[in-house]
Amino acid sequence: MNMFERNLAAIGLKDAALATALREARGGAFQITPARTGQPTAMVSGRSLHSAYDPLREAQAWATAQAAVCQPGEVLIVLGVGLLYHVEALRACVSRDTTIGSIVPDLNELHDVCMVRALDRWMNEVEWLWGPVERMAASLATTGRPLRFLNYAPAAAMHASVHADLERLIRQQVSARAGGQVHVAVVGPIYGGSLSIANYAAAALEQLGHRVTRIDHSLHQVSYDVMTGLKDPRHRATLQGRLADLLGQLTIARIAEDPPDVVLALAQAPMTLPLLEHLRKKNFMTAMWFVENYRHLTYWQQVAAGYDHWFVIQKQSCEHALRYAGAKQVSYLPMAAEPSLHCPVSLTPEEQTALGADVSFVGAGYANRRALLPRLLTNEWAFKLWGNEWDGATTSLGDVLQRGGARIDTKTCTKVFNGTKVNINLHSWTGEGLDPDGDCVNPRTFELAACGAFQIVDDRTLLPEVFTKEQVLTFSRPHDLVPLVRQWLRDEVGRKQMADAARQRVLAEHTYGHRMQQFLAQIGVNQPDRVGAILQGERQAGALLARSAPVPELKPVLAQFARQERVELKDVALRIRERGMTAVLSREDLLILMLDEYRMETRDLL
Amino acid sequence: MADDVADRGLVIQLARLGDLVQSLPAIAALNAEAAVPALDLLCPAPFASMGSCVPGIGRVLAWEVERWRMWADRWSSAREETLTEIEAYLKMVIPKPYAAAFNLNQHSRSMLAATLLSRHVMGPGERGPLAKDLPPWAEYLRGVVRHRDRNRVHLADVFCGLCGVMPLGTAPHLHIPPTTLPVDLASIGATKGLWIAVIVGAGDMARCVPPEVWREWIRVFLDASRDGRVVLIGSEAECERGRAIQDGLSSLCLGRIWDATGRTTLMQTAALLSRCQWVIGSDTGPLHLGTAVGARAMGLYFARARVHETGPYGQGHWTCQAETSAYDLQDSELNTPPSARHVARWPIAASVRLIVDDQPKGCDGWTLWQSRLDHWGADYVAEGTLQDSGERREDVWRRLHRPISLKALSHEYVRA
Repeated sequence: MNMFERNLAAIGLKDAALATALREARGGAFQITPARTGQPTAMVSGRSLHSAYDPLREAQAWATAQAAVCQPGEVLIVLGVGLLYHVEALRACVSRDTTIGSIVPDLNELHDVCMVRALDRWMNEVEWLWGPVERMAASLATTGRPLRFLNYAPAAAMHASVHADLERLIRQQVSARAGGQVHVAVVGPIYGGSLSIANYAAAALEQLGHRVTRIDHSLHQVSYDVMTGLKDPRHRATLQGRLADLLGQLTIARIAEDPPDVVLALAQAPMTLPLLEHLRKKNFMTAMWFVENYRHLTYWQQVAAGYDHWFVIQKQSCEHALRYAGAKQVSYLPMAAEPSLHCPVSLTPEEQTALGADVSFVGAGYANRRALLPRLLTNEWAFKLWGNEWDGATTSLGDVLQRGGARIDTKTCTKVFNGTKVNINLHSWTGEGLDPDGDCVNPRTFELAACGAFQIVDDRTLLPEVFTKEQVLTFSRPHDLVPLVRQWLRDEVGRKQMADAARQRVLAEHTYGHRMQQFLAQIGVNQPDRVGAILQGERQAGALLARSAPVPELKPVLAQFARQERVELKDVALRIRERGMTAVLSREDLLILMLDEYRMETRDLL
Repeated sequence: MADDVADRGLVIQLARLGDLVQSLPAIAALNAEAAVPALDLLCPAPFASMGSCVPGIGRVLAWEVERWRMWADRWSSAREETLTEIEAYLKMVIPKPYAAAFNLNQHSRSMLAATLLSRHVMGPGERGPLAKDLPPWAEYLRGVVRHRDRNRVHLADVFCGLCGVMPLGTAPHLHIPPTTLPVDLASIGATKGLWIAVIVGAGDMARCVPPEVWREWIRVFLDASRDGRVVLIGSEAECERGRAIQDGLSSLCLGRIWDATGRTTLMQTAALLSRCQWVIGSDTGPLHLGTAVGARAMGLYFARARVHETGPYGQGHWTCQAETSAYDLQDSELNTPPSARHVARWPIAASVRLIVDDQPKGCDGWTLWQSRLDHWGADYVAEGTLQDSGERREDVWRRLHRPISLKALSHEYVRA
């Protein structure tokens, strides 16, 4: 029996279908050449998948590094097949009761390995996941244990899209099954657009049943504004910088007093790199939802390496830039709407007169808007302009500017959206015309849609992922705007159909509740031993009791908690201390108190 | 020596290097008591090598803080495994509880460790690991930390009190085994000269003598002593400080300086200190280590350091203590504790003259104290007329001391 047949015979013992499929596969995925050590190594399109000198040694180094971060009880999923040196090394590196799975997106690759390497001794100690990605995801979901993805980059890069799909599907499953309560500290800015997003995110997390510590720095805006009034710019910059530093320290103090599982900061939150590094040293997990255009606001470069997870509203180039600046995990998380605020409302006749219009635009006076919006000044319809920072705009725009250019609140905004036949949504840009790099979708798109309001929005490359052309109308050339407004003003039924469809899409997929589910699921996938386990309810008293057989002494301690109650070290330690100064303690009690003393080192954050 | 830990005692000192050195008199006094079993020592892992040089200590158990931190971190995700692993580890290191633990620290970890590892606890924790009330000497120590100004009983002697023993009135010495030094440091102390170890830093920034002050001190010292030699002692984190001190010194001076900062292990540091006649520095672990290996100490005590509490222990050490007038505090800083940066004048000439000529000489804002030992432990005598006020040491001892009594029973705070 040759090597291929021996390997297939071994596989067939565990997975006959896989053995059959491998026999039918044609192979030829890799170009096989000998390494200096004589073992086979593989290349694809001129790129080596393993060391050309010593693939075994390279694989051992990889496996040792991966094993160091794995936790007991996790299922290890290897991305990247190659010639499986790394999987074999990993199998040898971790205990036999650790489950290892290997994703096989292309059976031709596994066919090639079977031709050149003897796998029969260990390959049945690995779970081979193959076939459609949905089937692989479903199979992984049934493990009921935290999954840790280990990326063997040289081989995994060939199937990045399959892996991304797999991760997305698993994330959805984690999100759907989430039952545990995560404690999230939400840190907002002193002022600005992301302040309201921080509030929406915090509310959404609470609605999902998680515990939220809201660290709200907007309370200090008054002091910040007093400094803005200083005439000397050096004084202003120094004092505002010191206030931001102080608020960073305040954030730390709040976190130390009630340590969360995750710190979620919104763009512009006063968190510096030293402060974030300090939090990391103390083992806090931090995430940033950067709800800004990374090309416009560039301070992310200074803190990219500080956060454990980045969530951004742009894709490829943004993710690449952040990683280049030191970010470890970058994920796409688009904007959303808050349906309890952004919703259809009926306007009184007086409100309709004051706030309604044929055509409206709400937003600040960026250069592209100043250049494009005058096209809407015509006798054919009533156009109203709302928002601030329109100083110095053309006289004609000044004539339609409402309330003297004052900022309007969310409630008024919602009424304007509802009272307008055609809402113009033009993404901000500092040039004239339309943003040539326009990718991210602004919050207004989701808010207008959630209101059931009809909108015409400048085209964005990421828009088709969140709305179809039947839900939101787009334009991609400035001169197309006026004809579109003219056309759709006449079509009330068409407007309503699109607006209703857009609202349904938001309710189904684009609320802050959805975003927070996606946020936690992503972190859960990235950190299966921490947030992942909490999301799956593994830290609740009931689950812990069920698993406490090896240490039965824990049972009486855990039995004091409600089954659904999340139980952490500090909770158990507190119960022990509450028994009084002269209580008789067990050894387990003493050990828990000792561990809690070290946990409390987080209090020494300042 | 009893081999079974169940018949042995365990001294617990989980604080810093200086505290471990200050524990030597208590260990010596315990060893002199017939009722006390043979002793082992539990100390932080980085000091375990030094612990093995303590006379009268059998075995040194290293307290691995990082391991406990890791367990604390992991408990949430793997509780059963973590507890099982800790138990396995403890059983491997300490198969049975000690007969008695002599706990010298007041923090909860130390009290919990004492309760976990022994059948009987002396010192903080003796009334149970959760008890808020402390034994008299521990309460006294807490009062000293809070009120500071009037105490006359040295920390090392309070440690004796915590263990229920009186100080022996002698200064214990560490026995440093032959230690290989980096080649360029091997000549330290081997050639004739007045070798001075300068402790360049301190764990607490408030107690760090500024580099420019040390630079000036070295310049004055090398001017005053033709055969003067200087060894800079400091950790890896203090290398920069060592370089800053040398920056600006003449090449003639630099030829008489050996920079050992960041280049030695704890045992090598101890070996270097033992080769120097004097050690000078603020109230730090290496200063006390110097006294324990035979160097005479010149302490520069300022910020929160007080000679009566933590001065160099033994006979004939000197300490310059900063008085209020040594500091230059802005109005806005009057309510903040002074630190090195507030010191307006440093006793450079006075300390150099004392070391070189054995001539005590005052310095504005500073008082000069010499150490001595008697039946009540360490005492410090002021050069000149100034004497510290406060309750006499013998009165404190009569008020607080309870001679050691080791019950043969298990303590009642833990279920077996």
